[in-house]
Amino acid sequence: MFLVLSRQTAVPTNVSSLMGVDGHVSQGPWFASVLTLKTSAPLRAEPKKKKKVDPRREQMVRERLKKKLKKLERVPPELIPIEDFTTPAKYMDETRVRGAPQLPFEESERRALLLKEWSRYKQTQHRAEMEAVGLAVEAQREALEELRLESEELYQAALRPDPLLFPFNHQGPSYTPPKAQYEAPEGKYNNITKVYTQ
Amino acid sequence: MAAPCSRMANRPLWRFITNVRRTGLKHTGVRQISLSSACRAATQTRSKTEGVPSPWKLYGAVCLQRLPVISQERNPIEDQFAELMHQMELERSLLSDHEQRLLEDSERMTRKQADNYDSDEEEADYGGQETITAQDQEDTWEQKLKHFQPALRDRDVGGTPLGSVERCLGDSLVLLVQQTVGKETIWLLPQAQWEAGETLRQTAERGLSSLPEADFKATFLGNTPCGVYRYTFPKEVRTERCVGAKVFFFKAFLSAGSASQKEPFLWVKKTELQRYLKPPYLEKVDRFILNL
Repeated sequence: MFLVLSRQTAVPTNVSSLMGVDGHVSQGPWFASVLTLKTSAPLRAEPKKKKKVDPRREQMVRERLKKKLKKLERVPPELIPIEDFTTPAKYMDETRVRGAPQLPFEESERRALLLKEWSRYKQTQHRAEMEAVGLAVEAQREALEELRLESEELYQAALRPDPLLFPFNHQGPSYTPPKAQYEAPEGKYNNITKVYTQ
Repeated sequence: MAAPCSRMANRPLWRFITNVRRTGLKHTGVRQISLSSACRAATQTRSKTEGVPSPWKLYGAVCLQRLPVISQERNPIEDQFAELMHQMELERSLLSDHEQRLLEDSERMTRKQADNYDSDEEEADYGGQETITAQDQEDTWEQKLKHFQPALRDRDVGGTPLGSVERCLGDSLVLLVQQTVGKETIWLLPQAQWEAGETLRQTAERGLSSLPEADFKATFLGNTPCGVYRYTFPKEVRTERCVGAKVFFFKAFLSAGSASQKEPFLWVKKTELQRYLKPPYLEKVDRFILNL
């Protein structure tokens, strides 16, 4: 009895030193149960139950989200409007209409005759172009024939396509020839084109 | 069209003339060659398998074209039609923003100059600011345009030499050089003899780059030749091994280049070719040079 009382008073201050020195606790049975609270069997069982149910629940949540995503993806994408095909509202305004001129008879006659003359001119031009192209093609065909007679190897080399030719860029003719050492002035502009994304 | 008919009529004439004339480059009648070429083709294919070289010397030539730099002058009919189109488009169009502004400004001016002008009413609308009229803007733009001097279109007034690349800026020009073929020096498209181990296009490129005192940068249009000129040597030079020569032409566009004025180069239009080339040569070359 005397021993127990003294140990009881000593417990709060010296419990850690007692644990460290001895390695095992050699005190009363009720101390043992207090100190082994954290590792007792009933307490260990509870987190196991949570592990079984939670992964299933998480899986169910993920599947539902995926189904919702698939439903959203099935909707066809909104078409990008072509702005050239819609006439802007400001051009439907009536105040913008120019007065239609009354052409005299001679003027309308002159116009009709000029249009017919033009179509004839264009027809002869087109015929001449087609003929010229036909002659050039014929010349090339003859050249390939002659080459074939000469040597098959050169003929095959001639038939091979040239990969370095395309992309072929050429600046077409302008109204005035280019000026030597001309510096074009820098122009600043704000680009207000609408960019659509699907 | 007058041109093709005359060409058809002249063909037998040319053949007759070339048979009679004795020139360095003789192009014997087409019909005779074609009959023999069929059997020669057979013999040649047989000889190829046997390994005998063909009796024709091969040359690669380049038809270097400088494309037009400026647009051509308009015909009278093209002029009239352009005017008509412009007029018709103007009649069928709506008023633009600028034109509407001009109309409004002119109306405002007339209202200001009228007797019952209420300046308070007007300026209440516009907030009393000084507005720049559309007419003023037009004037400033015209002033700016006058400051810019474009280069002149016709530079040929001074008479540029035939060897200069800047000759007729509105037409496409072809390069001609003077070379010695056989015994004569004649004007022709630059050519070089084919050597074993290279394609004909490489021969043509070599022919262009080997021109003395000139470096032209050209883009060749493909590996296929665009034309061929075949001629037989005169009887003195003819041997068993070489009967004549075949010249294969390749097309190229000039991208950059320069040449000194001393060397005999010519840049000629298609219409001027007949002054410098021999008729049988010209007949074959004229076909693939397009004046488009």
